[in-house]
Amino acid sequence: MKAFSKQTLNINRLAAPQSAIRNPQSIAAGLCLLWFLASIPFTPGLTSSNNISNIFSNLLPLLIVATGQTIVLITGGIDLSATSVMALTSVMGALVMSGDQGLLGGSAWAVPAGIAAMLVAGALIGWLNGAAITRLGMPPFIVTLTTMMFFSGLAIWLTKSKTIYNLPPAFNAIGKGSLFFIPYALLVTALLVVAAHVLLSRSLAGRWLYACGHNARAAEISGVPVGWTLTLAYVCSGVCAAVAAVLYTGRLETGSPVLGQRLLLDVIGAAVIGGASLFGGRGKIVWTMYGVLFLTLIDNTLNLAGQSHFTMMMVKGGVILLAALLDVLRRRGQ
Amino acid sequence: MTEKAVNNLSQAVLRHAAPLMFLVVLAVFSLLSPRFLAGNNFLNILIQSASTAIVATGMTFVLLTAGIDLSVGSVMFVSAAVAGKMVLGGQPLWLACAAILLTGMLSGAFNALCITWLRIVPFIVTLATLYFGRGLGLWLTETRAMNLPESILRIGSARIAGIPFPVLMLGIVVLAAHLVLTRTSFGRQIYAMGNDADAARKAGIRTNRIQFAVYVISGFCAALGGLVSIAQLGAVSPSFGNQREFAAIAAAVLGGVSLFGGRGSVLPGTLLGALLIQTIENGLVIANADPYLYPLVMSAIIFLAVLLDSLRNQQLRRSQRRIIRPSQKPSHG
Amino acid sequence: MYCGGAGNSEITMKPLLECSQIGKSYFGVSVLRGVKLALAAGSVLGLVGENGAGKSTLMNILGGVTQPDAGSMRLDGSEYIPKTPAEATGYGVAFVHQELNLFTNLSIAENLFIPAFPKNKFGFIDRPQMRTKTAELLRAVSLDISPDTLVESLSPGERQLVEIARALGQNAKLIIFDEPTTSLTSRETDRLFALIERLRAQGIAMIYISHVLPDVFRLCDEMIVLRDGEVVGSGRKDEFTTERLITLMVGRRLDQLYPTRDTQPAPETVMQVSDLSQPGVIEGISFELRRGEVLGIAGLMGAGRTELAHILFGLDPCARGSITINGAEISALSTRERIACGLAFLTENRREEGLLMDAAISDNLALTALPQFTSGALIEQPRLTQAVNQMAASVQIRGGGQHRQPVKTLSGGNQQKVVLGKWLLRNPAVLILDEPTRGVDVGARSEIYRIIHQLAATGAGILFISSEIEELIGVCDRLLVMQRGAIAARFERAEFSREQILGAALQSGEKP
Repeated sequence: MKAFSKQTLNINRLAAPQSAIRNPQSIAAGLCLLWFLASIPFTPGLTSSNNISNIFSNLLPLLIVATGQTIVLITGGIDLSATSVMALTSVMGALVMSGDQGLLGGSAWAVPAGIAAMLVAGALIGWLNGAAITRLGMPPFIVTLTTMMFFSGLAIWLTKSKTIYNLPPAFNAIGKGSLFFIPYALLVTALLVVAAHVLLSRSLAGRWLYACGHNARAAEISGVPVGWTLTLAYVCSGVCAAVAAVLYTGRLETGSPVLGQRLLLDVIGAAVIGGASLFGGRGKIVWTMYGVLFLTLIDNTLNLAGQSHFTMMMVKGGVILLAALLDVLRRRGQ
Repeated sequence: MTEKAVNNLSQAVLRHAAPLMFLVVLAVFSLLSPRFLAGNNFLNILIQSASTAIVATGMTFVLLTAGIDLSVGSVMFVSAAVAGKMVLGGQPLWLACAAILLTGMLSGAFNALCITWLRIVPFIVTLATLYFGRGLGLWLTETRAMNLPESILRIGSARIAGIPFPVLMLGIVVLAAHLVLTRTSFGRQIYAMGNDADAARKAGIRTNRIQFAVYVISGFCAALGGLVSIAQLGAVSPSFGNQREFAAIAAAVLGGVSLFGGRGSVLPGTLLGALLIQTIENGLVIANADPYLYPLVMSAIIFLAVLLDSLRNQQLRRSQRRIIRPSQKPSHG
Repeated sequence: MYCGGAGNSEITMKPLLECSQIGKSYFGVSVLRGVKLALAAGSVLGLVGENGAGKSTLMNILGGVTQPDAGSMRLDGSEYIPKTPAEATGYGVAFVHQELNLFTNLSIAENLFIPAFPKNKFGFIDRPQMRTKTAELLRAVSLDISPDTLVESLSPGERQLVEIARALGQNAKLIIFDEPTTSLTSRETDRLFALIERLRAQGIAMIYISHVLPDVFRLCDEMIVLRDGEVVGSGRKDEFTTERLITLMVGRRLDQLYPTRDTQPAPETVMQVSDLSQPGVIEGISFELRRGEVLGIAGLMGAGRTELAHILFGLDPCARGSITINGAEISALSTRERIACGLAFLTENRREEGLLMDAAISDNLALTALPQFTSGALIEQPRLTQAVNQMAASVQIRGGGQHRQPVKTLSGGNQQKVVLGKWLLRNPAVLILDEPTRGVDVGARSEIYRIIHQLAATGAGILFISSEIEELIGVCDRLLVMQRGAIAARFERAEFSREQILGAALQSGEKP
């Protein structure tokens, strides 16, 4: 026992000066900064205000979905259905609001009813995932894989694979408009991200989420309502996806059954680059923010540098691997 | 007594969930359409499911070690693109076919190296190679559909000893995999490692080698599945193999392979799962169902199969727990 | 293959295994220094020491899991430097682990031969040959089960015998038992000990590691005591007494392992259990627990004690009967609600059910009490930190300064104190302890007893489940003995007798 405490003390002493590399947050942040600086000479217009705002509008929906994903990853689960939720809620909202074929098309209630429908649908799908996982004891990967297939199929079936146009201008404003130069989308995202951060770092439910991720059985015996907590995580993820769908749909001014289809891997990639563990118990919203920022920067800079889609995919794959590798090295150091 | 009988019955049902569902699906579709039961329709199902079943067989090896390979769809794409380039560049067909398989194995080896040597978790490694592979493939094909010469289609429709080429490939792969998994040291070591990797290492199993091998096998099977697929389609589109990883995982899981390792089989397991998926799709086509409904039905059935499996596990755990209880009479006596 | 009695005549005075001046350090901290031991064929060496004394490192070196920094080992007269576990097996060194290392999804036969299966001429596994050899080996350990049985359907005792059969199949000259009896029933333990005797007669050398000192005395010819990585005592069995062993292990004289109680149970009842029954599990359990009382529950493994604890805590269902805490009926409540009523439960396996191993000490301590430190869904961090630090100090957890280090870096005893501290933060009315000192070294044990007594002094009722009768006698005010899911006997402190308690636990078949 004596030997043990000596050993840990030693490690602590070693850790202090090197803490910069030992933090997943600083890995992602460092990579971001490095990439940004390195790209400036090659990408004209990177720092123009136009481009910065472009980066932001690409980043926000991704950040929102990744926030929800981080919460799920912390519990040791995974939510593959998040982007299908985006597609389905986008279609549902459009089906409520659209002037062409919407249920409430043209009515003053269209926008609030449409947004409410989207959020409720997101929450409901999240609850469904959570219930299948906690009450029926099915593995999260498969549950959300099947709900991913089902709800993206549903979105396509509802629209027969067509996009829905003619959404109310008031709704589109959420995606494009701004309040005193601050885009609504940024406001909504900031609000949501801060709320998620407080949830995870300050609240009782947050502690429970981490506890479930570390050891659900031990948490249960310690009086943590595991079923409720896990369901909460999936509901959060569903709602986040729905909010992202609101912003995205508004920006595109169309309800699309394939909305966000390509985002899924970016979402998981961002959380992982940020240092969330697939085994649960590890992850922070701030870390995920850096991951999201990094992936968006890659997209943006390569785009500006005239690189094509496939280069971006290759670079992203490399970056995910690099982030994971740095994480492994960091742990080995401990 | 009757309670016990009901209990036994429900256990039997749950244990054979996949074959039973298969029978139910067969019954439903044969009621819906008489054409469904025609002999050559079954052959069609076999031919159509061959590619996915081969990929799923490789996936089964990986899943048995409690790993996962998300990159199979991209590996299919890259290796097909490499071969396409070679064929269009005037190389002989056999060389292109060999190149497909080699590319698949190399991709698998890359995954394996990252996992065994760099110690990164399989989910992340293969997620990264999924991106990387798709990007590489798009670069090779210049994001255009690649139409392959007639000769490759001839392979796809060839019959060897009366057996269509895809079915023959499927048969060889499934049989070989089954023999390897059940009758060789390597196969049993895979199961042991999936059960408890630490214990396997202590028992002297070279877990790194096993892990390396299963990812190479998965890459090989993905490439072979891709080969079978292009021989049937005659072209490589930019979305070739896209999301095939999910189909392969679904087939394996439907056939009773556990994502937590150590449990499941290729024969009947994964093969049955792949056939079930294809049978449903085929039945829906024959029954003239709305094509948009396919993914809905499919995902609902996969969900149901996994649900039954998890119910079975729960019941199993409950019944095992009761055996250690003192006043219970020994149940296997 | 293992060969019958031939070994007997080959016993020589030359030691089979000889280690000298073994040293090992991690990160500059030395965990083994100058360790020396010798072991003759056909003899059993008892290895004792507190957790963290270096036993597992020494075993890892013998088993080829790690390599020593200094010193040399000789096996059967030649240099022995195993680089991998497989190499150690090749030399004839086999392990029977505390946590059994069998593959539950494989058959017994496969477990005996993995990783090197016999092959037929096609290169496939030769199943008939494997089956015959397995049947032979199973006979040698007196296990009458088909070689094709899946290991998952075996009891812990049967699995242990399979492990020994595996060691025999590997032609082991030296078998190392690491805490082999922790999950065995007493009948299985007897069977194991009989087998060890037979192996000794066959000339196999054994190292027996255990915290159960009476077993060590019963089985071993020689003993060796490790403390802080050094050998502090070694010699023939008759040179030692239990007291001397404990003194050597702890490094100071431990006059009393069991501290004296200075408080008496209060007259009022805190928990009342009446006629609690669940078909196939427990039957007609009734007892009352008074404030400040430590009520022991004795019984053999599988007598239904853990199951009773699970039912009391609401983890398992219960068909009939009532449970009240301070007069309030709780039998229909969920685990969470029972915790709110003042119930607390330290489970028998802290790794799986007690702790978040990767989380910090402070997070583990805070876990059960979180709702009490919450205002409007948010945690009151300063108040919580203060309470957690106080608790860590009061249960004397030895760990990093701010308690930010993960629990998995702590020793078993300190981990158990974290679990205790976690429940003490809730000021429970009733604390159920299920084998609280299992796998805990002697020093930490007496601290755990002290904490239990302190809690009793504050008026809580304590239900103490243990398989060690000595411990129950030392700690409890009153004892229940469970047998086949029912209470077989009750003892007051004045009438505690080891023989009678054991007798009640062992009495078979029909109740009187």
